[in-house]
Amino acid sequence: MSLTLLEGALLVFVLACALGTALLKDTLAAVIAFAAYSLGISIIWLVLQAPDVGLTEAAVGAGIMTVLFLLALANTVTPDADRLLEPVRWRTVAFVGAFVLVMGATVPALPPIGVAETNPVLSGEVTQYYLGHAYKETQVKNAVTAVLAAYRGFDTLGEAVVVFSAGVVALSVLRREVFA
Amino acid sequence: MSADEGPGLYVESTIIMTTVRVVAPFVLTFALFIMFHGADSPGGGFQGGVIAGSVVMMLAFAFGIDATRQWLDVRVVAALASGGVLVFAGIGLGAIALGGQFLEYNVYLPYYSKASKYGIELVELGIGGIVASVAIGLFFLLAAGFGHVAGEVER
Repeated sequence: MSLTLLEGALLVFVLACALGTALLKDTLAAVIAFAAYSLGISIIWLVLQAPDVGLTEAAVGAGIMTVLFLLALANTVTPDADRLLEPVRWRTVAFVGAFVLVMGATVPALPPIGVAETNPVLSGEVTQYYLGHAYKETQVKNAVTAVLAAYRGFDTLGEAVVVFSAGVVALSVLRREVFA
Repeated sequence: MSADEGPGLYVESTIIMTTVRVVAPFVLTFALFIMFHGADSPGGGFQGGVIAGSVVMMLAFAFGIDATRQWLDVRVVAALASGGVLVFAGIGLGAIALGGQFLEYNVYLPYYSKASKYGIELVELGIGGIVASVAIGLFFLLAAGFGHVAGEVER
């Protein structure tokens, strides 16, 4: 497996932003690093040929979440950071490092990007059925939408209701009656 | 953000107001495109809804949160959220009522030839309404904070 320059740069950027989010002491700086992380991840999704996920990550992760975090910060009192980085606990580092090692060990087992024959997901029966029948059965060209709104429509209704419930719960927690 | 900046975060800027005034209709159009065209290209209700919600946030950024809150009709936001759920569930349950299974778009075929395609797009619109209004709602709720109206925070 070899990386192109773009992929390598993106991975380094995302890793640096993730580390920055975890380590920066100043909350505002951490929020900004997190937004940059989301933007980097969304471009990685594009490179991995998942534009639907990339669009979601860019709009929700880099967009709305950042605005909501900034608003929460503006409404709370945060002490000025006395230093740049959060103090590091070595036990946590060891634990997280071990976790990263375990996860990293599974990476070589992943199939290469875009190769259909050795990819268990792409060559799977269900995926092949969706790809072969989606347009005929649902009349939409985007197979992701076909799965989302037709084949797995019941799950998507659940997702949409979860979003709705989150809004209702926010209203009741803040003891307000209107969305404004 | 330090505490001394306080609640008066809004700075009136001609540049931002003019830019937002010009850009906002295009962003809203793009959001609707993402929602509608999600059937044939990347995108869909969730993504388009968030972009539509961000139009209101952009307006608040330019004209102030309180001014935008007064301009916005809360009934429209609530109607979008509950209307979205009703549209989605209604299309699903309507299929059962016509003798099919939940969300089986093809039972609408006798009434409309492209039932599946437009059913899916209606569902996406419903999702977009829910997501947009909840995003707008969370934005204003967080801006108002707990227990007091924004702008009356005691130092």
